[in-house]
Amino acid sequence: MTDVDYRPAAPPANGPSTANLADILERVLDKGIVIAGDIKIDLLDIELLTIRLRLFVASVDTARKAGIDWWETDPALSSKAARSELREENDRLRERLEALESADDGDASSSSSSRTKDKAGS
Amino acid sequence: MTREQPGAPESATETETETATETATYVYAVCRRLDPAALSGLAGLAAGFPVRTLPLGPLTAVVQHVPADGFTEDAWQQRLSDRAELERCARAHHEVVTAAAACGPTVPLALATLYRGDERAQQALGADRDRFAAALARIEGHAEWGVKVSLPATVSEAPQSASPTTARNGGGPSGGAGRAYLERKRGLHQAREQHHDRALRTAEDIDAALSRLATATRRLRPHSPEMTGERHRLQVLNAAYLVRTVREKELLDAVELLRRRTGAEVEVSGPWAPYSFAGEV
Repeated sequence: MTDVDYRPAAPPANGPSTANLADILERVLDKGIVIAGDIKIDLLDIELLTIRLRLFVASVDTARKAGIDWWETDPALSSKAARSELREENDRLRERLEALESADDGDASSSSSSRTKDKAGS
Repeated sequence: MTREQPGAPESATETETETATETATYVYAVCRRLDPAALSGLAGLAAGFPVRTLPLGPLTAVVQHVPADGFTEDAWQQRLSDRAELERCARAHHEVVTAAAACGPTVPLALATLYRGDERAQQALGADRDRFAAALARIEGHAEWGVKVSLPATVSEAPQSASPTTARNGGGPSGGAGRAYLERKRGLHQAREQHHDRALRTAEDIDAALSRLATATRRLRPHSPEMTGERHRLQVLNAAYLVRTVREKELLDAVELLRRRTGAEVEVSGPWAPYSFAGEV
């Protein structure tokens, strides 16, 4: 990351001033003591997936440079994994449901009433 | 919390209207002792408001007033969804934490720790004083070091290793082609598996060697090739080590040695404020 025009010319006395963004985000966003402030900002609920998606949509290349994938939590590595696993399962289920529904659409395009019945049955 | 989204022009005027703006107290870190001079000149997250110290009994918090309407949950939503803003915030937060950590043991707080005012911050952080004290005691005289280990993503010698087998079995010209193809596939698969095993072993060896020098260790999630954009190499270890300042040279020497012995690419970053270890109390 070279676009750090807002940084003062003199680096801080300590620490890697040229540290790459991925390293910084990995630490700043996720680590440190988590204290809930008065103005509640739940960093997890700020839909980090949304951030990722937007990054990807904006530019795959910049996302790569940013290297941020830390919210893709891993059961072995993070206590937040359960949440993300749930989310993934949710996504999977949603996908399956969509697939089923669209299959239904195809089958029952002639008769919408039978489709409703199918859905209610399943 | 305000419903309205603060527009971009507002930030330009915030320095002038400082007294009129309602502020919140943003907390960067908690330390044991801190020379306020170390904070001078830091911009922090809100231009125009000084980064300063806030007494917390025997401890000291590093704080800054920020315009309240620019730091609502909605505002953060937007801010963190914007890559440039995300980077600006993370770097600004990190810069303040780093400056504080240069003075002594420092517990970094999570990004976006905000209180309605100084008094509330003192009250809330004060309630956690024991936790902070324990964390500070634990990290005193230590720094965090990041170590990432990468290996080439693919085995270059795979085609060569498969070819002798092909030559040996390639008797019949008709059946040979299919068999050779399968042999080659199998050889490639085996080579890939071996490569993978070796990569994991290398990662474990390096982690074990460095863990011996560290007070505490944390494995972070390795960055995937999609994210690093480097398809030619595979990150097999992304770890953080809490290392005594006096052992830093040992750590760097060990890394150099491991680099030479394993042939792996070993990237070291640090010293960091002990982000990955402050929360383990």
